[in-house]
Amino acid sequence: MNIISYIIYLPIIFILMIKIGWILYENGEVFLNAIFKGDKTLVKNTNNILLAGYYLINLGFATITISCWEDIYTIEQLISFLAEVLGKIIITLAIMHYNNIFWLNYLSKRNINI
Amino acid sequence: MENSKIVIGYLIYLPIVILLTIYVSKALFKNGKTFMIDIFKGNEDIALATNRLFEVGFYLLNIGWALLVLKISYIGIMNNQTLIEILSRKIGAFSIYLGAMLFINLFLFFRGRKKSKINNLTINTPEQINL
Repeated sequence: MNIISYIIYLPIIFILMIKIGWILYENGEVFLNAIFKGDKTLVKNTNNILLAGYYLINLGFATITISCWEDIYTIEQLISFLAEVLGKIIITLAIMHYNNIFWLNYLSKRNINI
Repeated sequence: MENSKIVIGYLIYLPIVILLTIYVSKALFKNGKTFMIDIFKGNEDIALATNRLFEVGFYLLNIGWALLVLKISYIGIMNNQTLIEILSRKIGAFSIYLGAMLFINLFLFFRGRKKSKINNLTINTPEQINL
């Protein structure tokens, strides 16, 4: 049963994280433009590196959660436990997302020069 | 039987880790080129050479680390589930480590760029070049 839950869990969380990363990548470009004062190639390159870092850390974390998984014997347990784990990760993502928005706002207000 | 499971684990772990390292360093240093050119003020030869040297260093460091943490020490009967769990912990930890390395490199790029900008501004006062 545990292996089935892994097979369900991994695609869901990977697709979710890749989608979110892509949305952040596309919308973050405007903010980076403001920070770098419109240096187009630099913005694109920094954005690419940030996207790669985001994927590595998030997907790595999602994979690590598998190692501390409870034993699952019935379908009921499978559904409830999957929901619990997915919910935890998605809420963490949401908190980090708002944190990011806050920092972007702060940095573009202060107009810090990197 | 236990041993063969561990060997299968190694055979899954190694390609994933090496491909991940190659992909990350490609992504980092393809995009890092512009930073290097900025840092060396448009001197492309030195910038590309430095970029290449950093890339080699990145490969050595990360593949070396991946090999160092390869060993799976598990006592007892190993089934598919424990193998998946152990592998997931190893690969996940390595991926987070790679992400941290990526951000350290990005930080170094920014730092170098800032330093070279400061040097550029104070180029007329020679005693301030070696900040």
